Amino acid sequence: MRLIDAAIGAADGTAGKPACESSSAPELKELVTEATRALARLDVARLEELALSCEALTRIPPPKTDQEREGFVRQARAARSDMAVFARVLEATRSNLKVMERLRDLRLGETEYRERPGSRRGWGRKDP
Amino acid sequence: MGTINSAFGLISGALDADQSALSVVANNVANANTAGYTEEKPDWQENSPITVNGITIGEGVTETGATSQRDRVLEQRLDQQQQLSSASSARLSALNQMQALFTPDSGSTGSKAGDIGSDITSFFDAFSSLESDPTDNALRESVLSAASTLAGDISGTATSLNSQRSAIDQEAAGIAGQVNSLTSSLASLNQQIESTSPDADAGTLEDERQQDLSQLSQLIGINEVTTENNGLEVTTTSGQLLVSDSQSYQLTTGAVDGVTDFLLGGNDITAGLTTGGGELGGYLTARDQDIPNALSSLDQLAYSISTSVNAANNTGTDLDGVTGTVANPLYIFNEPAQVAGSAAAMTVTMTDPNQIAAAAAGAGTGDNSNAIAIANFASQQIVNGQTPTDYYSNFVTTLGSTVSEVQSENTAQTASVTQLQTQNNALSSVNLNDEAAAMSTLETSYQAAAQVFTMLNTIISSALNLGVETAVS
Repeated sequence: MRLIDAAIGAADGTAGKPACESSSAPELKELVTEATRALARLDVARLEELALSCEALTRIPPPKTDQEREGFVRQARAARSDMAVFARVLEATRSNLKVMERLRDLRLGETEYRERPGSRRGWGRKDP
Repeated sequence: MGTINSAFGLISGALDADQSALSVVANNVANANTAGYTEEKPDWQENSPITVNGITIGEGVTETGATSQRDRVLEQRLDQQQQLSSASSARLSALNQMQALFTPDSGSTGSKAGDIGSDITSFFDAFSSLESDPTDNALRESVLSAASTLAGDISGTATSLNSQRSAIDQEAAGIAGQVNSLTSSLASLNQQIESTSPDADAGTLEDERQQDLSQLSQLIGINEVTTENNGLEVTTTSGQLLVSDSQSYQLTTGAVDGVTDFLLGGNDITAGLTTGGGELGGYLTARDQDIPNALSSLDQLAYSISTSVNAANNTGTDLDGVTGTVANPLYIFNEPAQVAGSAAAMTVTMTDPNQIAAAAAGAGTGDNSNAIAIANFASQQIVNGQTPTDYYSNFVTTLGSTVSEVQSENTAQTASVTQLQTQNNALSSVNLNDEAAAMSTLETSYQAAAQVFTMLNTIISSALNLGVETAVS
């Protein structure tokens, strides 16, 4: 796991910093990085927490003052490159999932129709 | 009696089978911490049935051996991802070293490769200063000093890049020996597996073979094909045979144009290995693509500045009233004959500041029009259609983008390898987590992450839209 943490840390410049602890209020960039890290580790619990956090974020009304708006835009710009990394990890996960699903299907088929060497049963059986 | 004997036989057979199965489980537990060990599960075979008075009765089961819980498809996927990850890691390491060369060091007062951008500005600024008093010796000395700093930083950077290229070349050459050692081992294991387990899982031998394949995947890009009798054929990703059953084919190296090329059976396979993956692929991409591209950009910068400034100085009049000729040119920098190699060779050849031709041809020595013309090169498109500072700035930005792109790739590939190792461990290793749980984790993680991604994407898109001014009709 250290390898992937180092890779993500190097990608977003937070190497050596605990996730979401570099400032008092986590910014969008940190949320994205944390989601990437959790996905790489297949940390379901953390991903579900993050999903709830993001859902809460979507319910927050849009910023009203110029200052709030500028802050929001700045955060979004800062998070853009990390979103690209997140997208790539998500894509890699999707490919891995496809491979695993195909393997599962293959193995299920194998369980049903498997013919072991010397076996007298199975789909290829020839009655004496 | 026959029936009772048969029943006893059936029961004792079942007990024997259970005992064998327990041995397999004990073996799994004993090897729980052995690197590369794959969990074995007992194979059960139905015994021949007994027929009594026309009624067939089952004869129980016999434990016929153990099959390792490995999955070659998953292992191959893991090997492939490992190849990509190793390649991007090796390339990224080289790119990071390169990028460090071009990072300005604001705290340093000495010349540094990272200062080339400011060196260019300082050089043309020195000519601008000379405009105010073209006869001032101190201002003339400043021009030569700025030229020396610029030439020194460009040639120093080119030298550093060439040194880095040589170091990477040596690293790459060293990999050939490791590859040969692994392919020999694979051929030997193939032979053992084919002779002892031609139609069944070979247990620990298979584990050893998989470990070798995994290590080989970190070094170079390979394809694996299972052959008859449980054998294995290994080729490079571009199709050259490395191992065929019990035969391995050795990679050799040879020096071509100052770098190491890789040969297999007399054919140069360097290009295929470069795109193939593994550490070697990453190193070769850096050696043959990234570093030459950077050198080429520096060469162009050095060539354009040197030839433009030299040509302009040669047409003007120096402080002694001399104008340059073909036989005695007034060159500030050594005049490059071609673009290639211009950066490494860049140096200041002029030693006498009086030879700076600040005046136009035919004008008095107090004239400054040629100094103005040379100072104006700073804002003219003299390097491949760009100003010198823009050209250098774009080059550094492109390098930064490449580093960032490879970093993203590497992060995704490392994550993918981590995930696959988790899945493979659940399937192949002695672990209480079963395959279904691992699969479910992968599925749920993907779904949750996809949900997080969609929401974050929406939040970020709407935030960015806030920053865009929209026209109101």
